[in-house]
Amino acid sequence: MIIDINFIGLIIASIMASAVPLILASCGELITERSGVLNLGVEGMMIIGAISGFALMTVTGSLIIAIFGAMLAGVLISTIFAFLTQTLITNHVATGLALTIFGIGISAMIGKNFVGIPGKEFPVLFEGFKDTIPLLGPILFGHSIVFYFAFALPFITSYFLKKTKTGLIVRAVGDSPESASNQGINVRLVRYACILYGGAMSGLAGAYLSMIYTPQWIENMTGGRGWIALALVVFSTWNPIKILIGAMIFGGLTIIQFHMQAIGVRIPVQFLTALPYIVTIIVLVVISRDSRKIRLSTPSSLGKSFYKDN
Amino acid sequence: MNTNLKISNVTKIYPGCVANDNVSLEFNSGKIYALLGENGAGKSTLVKILSGVIIPDEGEIYLNENNLKLNSPSDAKKNDIGMVFQHFNLFETLSVFENLIIDSDEQRESLREKIDTIMKKYNFSIDLDIPVLNLSAGQKQKVEIIRCLIRSPKVLIMDEPTSVLTEQETSELFLSLKKFSEEGILIIYITHKLKEVMQLCDEVAVMRRGKLVSVSEIKNENIESLANKMVGQNLKTIKKKKAKTSSDQLIKITNLNFTSEDPFETNLMDINFSVNRGECLGIAGISGNGQSELFQVLSGEIISEKNSIEFNKNYIGDLNPQERREYLMAFSPEDRLEQAAIPQMKIFENVALNNFKSSNFFNNGLINENKIKEHSKKIISDFNVNTENIELKSQFLSGGNLQKLIIGRELITSPDLLICFNPTWGLDVGAINYIHETLIKINQQNKSIILISTDTDELLKLSDKISVIHKGKLSKIMNAEEVTSEKLGILMGGAN
Repeated sequence: MIIDINFIGLIIASIMASAVPLILASCGELITERSGVLNLGVEGMMIIGAISGFALMTVTGSLIIAIFGAMLAGVLISTIFAFLTQTLITNHVATGLALTIFGIGISAMIGKNFVGIPGKEFPVLFEGFKDTIPLLGPILFGHSIVFYFAFALPFITSYFLKKTKTGLIVRAVGDSPESASNQGINVRLVRYACILYGGAMSGLAGAYLSMIYTPQWIENMTGGRGWIALALVVFSTWNPIKILIGAMIFGGLTIIQFHMQAIGVRIPVQFLTALPYIVTIIVLVVISRDSRKIRLSTPSSLGKSFYKDN
Repeated sequence: MNTNLKISNVTKIYPGCVANDNVSLEFNSGKIYALLGENGAGKSTLVKILSGVIIPDEGEIYLNENNLKLNSPSDAKKNDIGMVFQHFNLFETLSVFENLIIDSDEQRESLREKIDTIMKKYNFSIDLDIPVLNLSAGQKQKVEIIRCLIRSPKVLIMDEPTSVLTEQETSELFLSLKKFSEEGILIIYITHKLKEVMQLCDEVAVMRRGKLVSVSEIKNENIESLANKMVGQNLKTIKKKKAKTSSDQLIKITNLNFTSEDPFETNLMDINFSVNRGECLGIAGISGNGQSELFQVLSGEIISEKNSIEFNKNYIGDLNPQERREYLMAFSPEDRLEQAAIPQMKIFENVALNNFKSSNFFNNGLINENKIKEHSKKIISDFNVNTENIELKSQFLSGGNLQKLIIGRELITSPDLLICFNPTWGLDVGAINYIHETLIKINQQNKSIILISTDTDELLKLSDKISVIHKGKLSKIMNAEEVTSEKLGILMGGAN
């Protein structure tokens, strides 16, 4: 059997494509959590993004409106979360879970009219270069703009947190909101902004699924990716680069187990389906096991409400 | 350039309490001012108003004749008022450098130079690139001070700065503060420690129950006069009468060792001592030399060999604290809110905690609330705890009241031996006096005390015998009359 080297390239590209929504949602949630807010509503925000993107694309016909509309939908639904947890000081965990349940329900309701409608083709960049370099060609070229953005995002996020003043402020708020407040930082404003940003990224991740990855609307089509994104943030110990690694392992195993199922490898299907979840978490735990580093990168105030005393 | 800071008729009212009642004060640069008062006197509220954390209900603040509107901490910073809080406002997981630059708009490189210059000038040496959580309390305070100095403040406010410092660090701090003052920074020093006021300051303002009671120059005051102003009544100076020498041995520690797996703990090496009935054994030392481990070994939080502790002719080294209590030992740990009491639980619930076995408190596993409450009320009145409400959560008691409650809880079973660790740490003069009186009374009733403390004055006042702990080893045991604070100081430093 001759294995076409470009075929391997295509498999790697498909692994990367399946990692895109995880990277987007995780990097968004990472910023939210770094400011000390635990938003368990990622799955809900993703599915809202998915239906909003698909619906807007079908109704308006404009991909740009659809993409930005999906992000805006993510922002809007996360505003509910921000208002509840930051202004009304509700519990982060309960509010986040409610957000997910709400998102899944409302997307199914809106989505009724969009089931079975075919999606549109999303334009890809550098299509022509695909065959110029063996192996690397299919990996590097011929993808959507969202794909390229997703793979740049962990590096942007890392740079933002380490090198910019705003990033420093986000980390400071997550470490000690009391101290930050006494330093004159508006803790609530910073946390609102981080929650809304997380919402936008989850919305984009959802839109990628319904508009680019599998261009159609299926009820509950995020299929737990929001939860995986959340797990990636924690097991990567809030490190964007490790999120990238984790998302690639998860995406890779998902694709590979599909192929294994297709060629009829004699391993129980349930085990194959569970494999990506297990392996990703094991790998991330192993590469992040330095307890000192965990202590340093865990936002100390994560999930705790901040009351300003006056 | 001269700085003049004026507080004019400031009032701040909380529900049920006037924290600042029409306070007016004036400060000029070149001097170090003390703001003295007991816990709850309103001095922290006043400085929080000056630093923009709290907005006053009435009153004005003027800096060099300009009326300041301080609505947030950043307003205070903009107006060159720097503040070092008692509880540090640092970000533990960020590096020292990141902590220093967070509120500045300057470029990182120029800031680094500026910070280096400041550190050189005042002889601070701190690694800028390690996370703050690796620093000692003294170093953290220096980071806070540098953070203020970066902005070249006109006013520097220090809120109870020595409560977390060792004596060495305290004298370093005082040197720095004097230097700042010579350079024209107006220093306001908040404290309840009279000695420090006498040592460091030029003028002193005393507050009591939200009111300003006096402003005077230090040279016209002494410790007694300040103490009386602060407490509002004449304090008796407590002196301990020499105890009758008893040879009736109560507790004997023989070859006690403790080796810890935690690198942050101190190993105890070959501890030997004994305490007779009616005696107080003081154990001095700089904090972190094994005191907390020694307390835990004595209280049974750490179990040791059965024969290493002999109490009342029983070997109890392998018993846990609850079992040791049955042999009439009692304990008052250092950390009142974490070790001695549970902050979120009510007063009477905390009272029940050291007495699980008492048939009075529990019937067949059910809580007998009435009995416990009755008992709690007795403690509150017997030990002068300043609250009526036994349903109050313990975290809302002041340090002094909580300590009285804990000592009361321990003593009401009339134990033969009380082991206490820094019983007056962070308390005001009134509460300290009360605790000291109580401890003296225990000795007079022919009961014994082991007093582990970092406060040398306290030890000299209360102990009959004194030993010093250094790096987990005890010095020989000395009679208290033969010991001076200088001699203790030398032993605490590790010399012989």
